[in-house]
Formats: sequence, structure tokens, C-alpha cells
Amino acid sequence: MNILIRLIQIVFLYGFYVAGSWLHDLLHIPLPGSIIGLLLLWGALSTKLLSLKWIETGGHSLLSVLPIFFIPATVAVMNYGHFFAGKGFLLIPITILSTFITMGIASFVSQRIAKQLDKRKESSKCN
Amino acid sequence: MQLILLTCGFILLTILVYFLMNVLYMKFHQPFLVPIITTTIVIIIILIVFNIPYDTYMIGGQWIDKLLGPAVVSLAIPLYKQRELLKQYIFPILTGVLVGCLTGMVTGVAFAKSLGFSKELALSLLPKSITTPIAMQISAQIGGIPALAAVFVIIAGITGVIFSHYFLTFFKLDSTLGRGIGLGVATHAIGTSKAIEYGEQEASLSSVAMTLSAIFGSLLGPVIAWIFY
Repeated sequence: MNILIRLIQIVFLYGFYVAGSWLHDLLHIPLPGSIIGLLLLWGALSTKLLSLKWIETGGHSLLSVLPIFFIPATVAVMNYGHFFAGKGFLLIPITILSTFITMGIASFVSQRIAKQLDKRKESSKCN
Repeated sequence: MQLILLTCGFILLTILVYFLMNVLYMKFHQPFLVPIITTTIVIIIILIVFNIPYDTYMIGGQWIDKLLGPAVVSLAIPLYKQRELLKQYIFPILTGVLVGCLTGMVTGVAFAKSLGFSKELALSLLPKSITTPIAMQISAQIGGIPALAAVFVIIAGITGVIFSHYFLTFFKLDSTLGRGIGLGVATHAIGTSKAIEYGEQEASLSSVAMTLSAIFGSLLGPVIAWIFY
């Protein structure tokens, strides 16, 4: 019974993905169907059109094994080995370095601004 | 008949390898053992050893790939449950994502260009911090190679999964907000699968960062490309 509920909920979540993809094609929104589906589901939950309990167990079962759904895409790297032969190999450290810089700056900026916000709130509480 | 056998075979192979690699990760808990990387490597080795082309693997693999859509949709759940946190930090989130997204696009192209790589390759590198389908769209739009852009997206994602913990801890960027935003902006959905390990708050921040970054990237990517070329 439990598994059946999960499956039905996953089918329901799939419906949001299909709706997102359909909107993507229809309105030429420059976001993929899955992200439009995410926004649709988030909107439905926020406006209480949909109750969290209708999709929560199914959604959590998908999220608990999220990495497996990337495997077919990551295995495709095997077809592009030749691009990284010779000088192209340098593109890998470039990507890694740029990723570090991006992560560092994004984390730093958000963390720093949040700290200032928190401090301001603290001091306004004291006054 | 053979088709059904191949389909079930490759699905089962993927699940089995993932399961085993998950056990390995749970046992040793080393960041370089995360299942997404070990599973990918083991499957690529199996395919190469048995001389199986990627397209044959995808006869089964496509069914797992199809579930990526609803799995990404499910990220709306932590997003919704953590709405108070997101509302409270809306300004630091928006600023961090915008600055990070720009940094990701500019540094990638700048490094590739300064090392003398072709325009086509440099522009394929531009959207590497953005989730695969959008990165492919952006690269096609600005004159890169979409398939290659997808490879850079994966390299960026895997960098985050293996090294983010060491990196963010070393630079004291390991607050909930720092982890969530850093992972989401620089390493998109693959990094978000790592953020889930930290907890629901990190997962929701990372999903928001990934989504916003996709929106900013598709708007600003062409502008960055125009500035460089």
C-alpha cells in the first residue's frame, strides 16, 4: 500500500514535469521543463492549491536517490574523451578553478550580507 | 525480446552499481567516494571493457534519465518547507547568486581565452555553472558546442561534490547559507544532491540558488559572450 501511494505521488510529480515541458514548448520560456515544473509545484504549494502530504512521500523517495538520475547523463562523458586529449586537457583544470572561484565568491557574498542583516536586527532589538 | 533484455539489464546494472557504491560511501564517508562519481566511473569502465557504445547503454539508461524531471520538480518540497528561511534571507540570496553567476561565466571564458582556446570552446565553457539543459541552450545561442557544454557542466558539478566540503570549511564559508548558495550557484543540481546531505535548509537554499542562477544565466550569458567576442 505504502509503495502504491509513493508510485501514485511520483506519477503526480511527473505530471508537473510534463506540464512544465509543455509550457516551455508553448511559450518558449528559456528554462527547462523540470525547472518550470518545480516553480509550478512550488506555486501550487504556496497558494495551498495542493497539500504537501499529497506529494511528500513520493517526492522524498525521489530526492533520497537524486544522484542516480544523473548517471545516464554523466556516463555520456565517455563520448567526449578526445576533446580533452593534448592541450584540451587544460580545459579541465580551468573548469575546476573557475568553479572554486564561483563557489567561494557566491558563498562569501551571501554569508557576509546575511551576517550584516543579522547584526542590524540584533542592534534594533537592543534599542 | 533482445530490446527488453537490454533495457532491463542496463537499468538493473545502474541500480546495482549505484546501490553498491552507496554502501561503500556510507561505510567510508570520503567525499571522493560520492556515489555519483564512483557509479559513473564503474559503469564507464564496464561499457569500455565489454565494448558497449553509450547509445546501447542508453536503451536502458533513458528510463532512469526520464525520472530526472520529476526528481528536480520534487526540489520544490524543501523549497516550500523552508519558505520562512528564504524570505528572511532574500537579499543575501539574490546578491550572492547574481555575483556568483556572473563570476562563473566571466572566469571560465576569461581563462580559456587567455590560454588561447578557440572562441567555440571558450563559449562552450561559459555556462558551466548552470544546470545542463539551460547550459546547452545558452551555449547553442552564443555559438558554443552544446554537447561539450554539458560535459563542462558535469565537471563543475563533480568538482563541487568532491571538494566543496574541504573548500568551504577551509575558507570558513561553511554557514548554512554559505554552503547552500555556494553549491547551488557553482555546481547546480549535481551540487544540490550534495547539499541534501547537509540538511533541508541547505537543500532548499541550493535549489533556489540553482534556479535563480539558471534564470540570470539565460539572461546574462549572451551579454557576457558579446563583451568577450
